[in-house]
Amino acid sequence: MPARHGRDAAFRLVAAGATRRGFLRLVGQGTALAALGQLRGLSPAVAAAAADAPERCFDAAETEILTQLVERLVDTGEPDAPRVRNTRTIATIDALCAQLDPSVTAQLSIALRLFEYGPFVFELRFSRFTRMDDAEKDASLEGWQASRLALRRHAFLALRNLAMLGYYSQPETWSLIGYAGPLIGRSATT
Amino acid sequence: MIQKLLERGGDLVERADVCVIGSGGGGAVAAAELASAGLSVVLLEQGHHWTARDFSQREDEMMPRLFEEAGMRQTEDGAVTILQGRNVGGSTVHNLCYAFRTPTPILRLWREEHGLPELTEEALAPSFARVEQELRVKPIREDELNSLNRLLRSGAERLGYSGFVTRHNREGCVKAGYCILGCSYGAKQSMLVTYVPRADRAGARIYANARAERIEAEAGRVRRVLGRVVDHAGQAQGSIEVQARVVVLCAGAVASPDLLARSGLGGEAVGRHLHLHPSVMAAGFWKEPIHAYRGIPQSYYIDEFIDLERDARSGYVLMPISGFPVLTAANLPGFGRRHFALMRDFDKMGGLLVLLHDRSEGSVASGDSLSRPRIRYALSREDGRLLARGLRHSAEVLFAAGAQRVVVPYLSEPWVLTSRADLAGIEDREIRAGSVPIASTHPQSTCRMGRSAADSVVNAFGECHDTAGLFVADMSVFPTSLGAPPQITTAALADRTAHHILERWPDLAA
Repeated sequence: MPARHGRDAAFRLVAAGATRRGFLRLVGQGTALAALGQLRGLSPAVAAAAADAPERCFDAAETEILTQLVERLVDTGEPDAPRVRNTRTIATIDALCAQLDPSVTAQLSIALRLFEYGPFVFELRFSRFTRMDDAEKDASLEGWQASRLALRRHAFLALRNLAMLGYYSQPETWSLIGYAGPLIGRSATT
Repeated sequence: MIQKLLERGGDLVERADVCVIGSGGGGAVAAAELASAGLSVVLLEQGHHWTARDFSQREDEMMPRLFEEAGMRQTEDGAVTILQGRNVGGSTVHNLCYAFRTPTPILRLWREEHGLPELTEEALAPSFARVEQELRVKPIREDELNSLNRLLRSGAERLGYSGFVTRHNREGCVKAGYCILGCSYGAKQSMLVTYVPRADRAGARIYANARAERIEAEAGRVRRVLGRVVDHAGQAQGSIEVQARVVVLCAGAVASPDLLARSGLGGEAVGRHLHLHPSVMAAGFWKEPIHAYRGIPQSYYIDEFIDLERDARSGYVLMPISGFPVLTAANLPGFGRRHFALMRDFDKMGGLLVLLHDRSEGSVASGDSLSRPRIRYALSREDGRLLARGLRHSAEVLFAAGAQRVVVPYLSEPWVLTSRADLAGIEDREIRAGSVPIASTHPQSTCRMGRSAADSVVNAFGECHDTAGLFVADMSVFPTSLGAPPQITTAALADRTAHHILERWPDLAA
């Protein structure tokens, strides 16, 4: 897999070949990855959303990247499925992240920027995640999921699990999967 | 009265005979026993005080309330997710109530190979009896098995596998099934509704939102505990100082060694020998809805593949597992439409968990943040093979129980089995760190008991080798992996440590 290996080598370059902790230290010191995160020439969709998104844990630009990531991660293909933007999915993720140690949320913010610029960094394509169509986004996410580099796979899993938490905690989604919901105020059945 | 320091505000300065750190399966027991005997006790709990009224049965609300790092605590390599409680009552508030005594061969192993002749069944019997009475431990009745547990029992019996219906600590259970999110009905006999209120009634001063950050000793004797009032994100709000003749550290197998290391106490063995009881899951899908998430989640227990008399250091058990939408979605592989193809059958799904009695070891060391110790764990090749074998046996039981499909959640490519003919292939694919979701709810052994300070932290009664008056009473003291659900062992050892402190009190108070 020379192409993938080449992409991972690019990531390794960005992360300075560091261990996970070294990677985080780099982030904290504002070196290579932070510089990457500061590439703030945002896509139109990101910029448009930046104006009125409520900011708690993530800023408006990060919130838009997160939203588009979550939309692909929880895509059901069902026409009647609740849309991420019509639910409190992102607000739920944001509220949860706001209760985490600041060192974790700092990593998540950097991870979002990496997902946004991942196509450029890892795939050597002059594009950003939020400017891609759905098929391209899915292919980009597959790249994260199957990366040879554990750091990328872990970042993918962290974002994926946040997406699952945000979406499947919305009551609107429960009828899709046959979940009857909490029993408080109702009688239990076995 | 349990004081929530976040709401009260200000600093905390206290003096007591005993300061107990942590209110979970060890700390609540120690605090209640010591306070009931007349000692003045201060109990510090870094988490919040949530009660049944707060348990909303919603995953998005309960995960950050009840779990360290909102349920996202991981080993440093991201391979193992570690679920630990962070609230008054600790992990007993979210556990699933299996109630096992320490296996006889494990006690023998601890006596014979770890220099702990004091740990006999006779010596521990009074502690087991007290704990089981307080927690109202009893057998689960036949009519209390839910659909998934009945199905899996039928599968195991069809295959001739050994298994049994366990004991539990519930009283007046309504079978809602939300045990892992905290019992909204007060039926789970966790520390929150048993030992913590008993400690409170006995006069213990109990503080929530109180994180111990340093234990200080002078001339080889413990003197005081320093800490901070912390919010839900672990951010400091005020200072804490508790002067005490005795400190009982019960913060769990991750935080306890971290605190000792930050304090320069405990010796060289602090944080070593971490065992996790790592677990992996196979998911079965039935033709019709089975609503596995309703009723008592775990009541049947398959012990066919662990024989502690033959090998006290290895083996695995199989335990039914079900979840609510978020936990289920997180444990199923992939994303997007392929992931949803599994999720759409949520109500037809039930799992079998392989819980490994691990030989593999790891370590805990202090991290950059007080909320995030560095947890390392290396799954050995042999343990990986055992997990793979366990997945094969899980799939076998699921098919025998009537499942139409079984999913083995390899992260790179989920493997959907449709018949028993596919089973052999599971063992050909090894389980390695990062190849499947691995979870741990039982970190242990990081301040282990033993004779020598060179390879252990505390003696047979939980007292640190290097510091008089400093005791540890949580799962970190287990000399080896326990090989069984740890709730009762943890509580019984804490009870024993508390009674040892009482016997030695004139000496310790001098």
